[in-house]
Amino acid sequence: MELSRRTLLAGGFAAMLGSTVVGCSSSINTGSTKKNATGNIALWCWPGGLGKSVLDDTIAHFPDQHIKYSEVGGDFKQKLLTTFNGGTSIPDITGVKGEDIASLLPQADRFVDLKTIGADSILGDYLEWKVKQATTLDGKVIGIPIDIGPTALFYREDVFTAGGLPGDPAKVAEQLKTWDDFLAAGVELKKSNPKAPIVADATDLYGTIVNQGTARYIDKDNKFIGDQDHIRRAWDIAVKAVTLKVDGKVLGGSADWNAGLDQGTVPTIVGAAWVALDIKSACKTSVGKWRVAATPSGPANFGGSFLTITKNAADPAAALEVIKYMLSPDNQAKAFADAQIFPSAPAAYDKPQLKAADPFFGGQVPIEVFGPAAKAIPIAYEAPLDSALATPFTDGLKLVQAGKKTSDAAWAEAVSKAKQIGKRQGVQ
Amino acid sequence: MTLTATAPSRPAGTTKPRRRRSIRSYWRFYLALSPFYVIFIVFGLYPVASTILLAFQKWDGLGPRTMVGFQNFRFLAEDSTFWLALWNTVVLFVMSTVPTLVIAMALAVMLHSAVRFKGVYRIAYFIPNITSLVAAAIFFAAVFSTNFGLINSILRSLGLPTEDWLRQPWGIKIAISTMIVWQWAGYNTIIYLAGLQAIPTEQYEAAKVDGAGPFRTFFLITLPQLRPVVLFTVIMSTIGGLQTFTEPQVMVGNTGGTGQSGMTVVMYFYQQAFFANDYGYAGAIALSIFMLVLLFTAINWKLLGGRGRQ
Repeated sequence: MELSRRTLLAGGFAAMLGSTVVGCSSSINTGSTKKNATGNIALWCWPGGLGKSVLDDTIAHFPDQHIKYSEVGGDFKQKLLTTFNGGTSIPDITGVKGEDIASLLPQADRFVDLKTIGADSILGDYLEWKVKQATTLDGKVIGIPIDIGPTALFYREDVFTAGGLPGDPAKVAEQLKTWDDFLAAGVELKKSNPKAPIVADATDLYGTIVNQGTARYIDKDNKFIGDQDHIRRAWDIAVKAVTLKVDGKVLGGSADWNAGLDQGTVPTIVGAAWVALDIKSACKTSVGKWRVAATPSGPANFGGSFLTITKNAADPAAALEVIKYMLSPDNQAKAFADAQIFPSAPAAYDKPQLKAADPFFGGQVPIEVFGPAAKAIPIAYEAPLDSALATPFTDGLKLVQAGKKTSDAAWAEAVSKAKQIGKRQGVQ
Repeated sequence: MTLTATAPSRPAGTTKPRRRRSIRSYWRFYLALSPFYVIFIVFGLYPVASTILLAFQKWDGLGPRTMVGFQNFRFLAEDSTFWLALWNTVVLFVMSTVPTLVIAMALAVMLHSAVRFKGVYRIAYFIPNITSLVAAAIFFAAVFSTNFGLINSILRSLGLPTEDWLRQPWGIKIAISTMIVWQWAGYNTIIYLAGLQAIPTEQYEAAKVDGAGPFRTFFLITLPQLRPVVLFTVIMSTIGGLQTFTEPQVMVGNTGGTGQSGMTVVMYFYQQAFFANDYGYAGAIALSIFMLVLLFTAINWKLLGGRGRQ
């Protein structure tokens, strides 16, 4: 008895105190446009977000700007939001990850519209679809792309040839033109090698197919379109992989995945350019046996990030000069050589760093696959709530994959859940 | 009426002035105590208060906040994912706490009667508790993995059918609760051991004289004497168990795995805040966890007779 009364009192006191404190702080925070001190540029990015040599070179190239680089680890977006809300020590230039940019577009007034400070002249140097991701519906551009993540089909040449499939990348691309071809090849491969399902994980396959499209879960008028044919098609292909039993059900990044890559039980990965690093670190014995071919049914993008200038920047024009230099095609090629940061400026694809043959891929030149892929990625509108609405669909697929639900039942549930999440946030 | 009638009838005229004067004269002591309260208000009370406030607001993390009244709670009531997360949390809590406490009790009784290497055992059992949660979760995910996991290797070598643990709703729950048991059994063992050592040996001697066997002794002397200690461990496990987060998050990812069967309430709250950018809704979920912990603590308190009976 006494316990509950005390809790109640403490709760009441807390609420009283909380409302006063929060009331004060929120009135201070809203719309803080306090400028940073001039003559300094604070730059934020996450570990490995910018090439080391490019960064050192840029800092040396702009001695008057006193660029102060901070490597912010952990949940980068969260730390950025917290700093914005705090209102002090906001960086002049900050990186924004590709998966976070859509949710920051509604807050575009926290960032400088790069078009107002003369970025028009350089925007054409970068891939159009990527710049579009950092463009608001009313045309403000808040970010210059650092890198992109064009997808390709990574596959084990030895497993493919042993299973009666072609080994040469050009021939693989030719035979596995669509997802139907890909699944048919999986059935073929399974006959001679039942331990090597061609799809690593059907739920990942689903995500890739959605990324290949020009529409996602919400359209520009804020209407829910996740129950339409373009999503259902992706769903059906993923389900087909399950019913044909060519789905390995291996969670990306898990112990099974890592071991499977090296031992040939995960013979293909459909992934972005940066996945090459993961494969390389997982493989000890299969070096030289991997190849890269075009993604069946066309390329998609997965990941890739931006540099933005905040409204607090003391000298946005100077900050833009720094970004221009850092993300020039030459420096992007250097960053690729440094840390596999895949260039967002097509001019970089002709630089020697990218033209190099990769012994891990048996001497293949990966850019010959990734370069054309990068230029052909479709433009899709991504709403801030998009990733939240994707969750019920991947969850539903997992149930189909585990044999717990039929495809139709799982689909109906996923659609109704996604609608519910959307309704909560005002999606029609 | 009844309240005023039963209020303590103290001679008000004599105590009131004295108490007021004494508070002022003790200011040095209050000053000495204040660091705790200042830190508590800033890092304890303020976050709690702002969470409560947030639960009644809509906020995307950066823009202006708007008051929406009970709207978030209305959404909660009809949100099937929330109820699923609640169910998962309670199931995981039962699946992990019961074995943890039973194993801890057994270990404690064994340790209590052990003669050699007592210290070594105590340290050995406690080590899981201080192991990094993330590292342990990665290890357990590897142990339970399908093709190259330890458990499936053992099953295979015994000729038993293997299971796709981290892809099956129940497999996920078993993997998560196994890890919680591994981590917390040793901690509770040490607490039980301390309780065991406080039981006077005369009672055991008397039981021996009366001819009681080890089981009778355990259930009639050890367990009743340990009741306050058991209550403490149950309540600590309740608070910890209902806030399960890291284990499922590392093992099956942010969405909770197949059928979201590893999705706990804290994970759902984290997902809503930091992935869906719906901080107000997350605040409402956080409040619901608080209510849940209160409810379960109260139930345990009643069941085990925490107050007065001792």
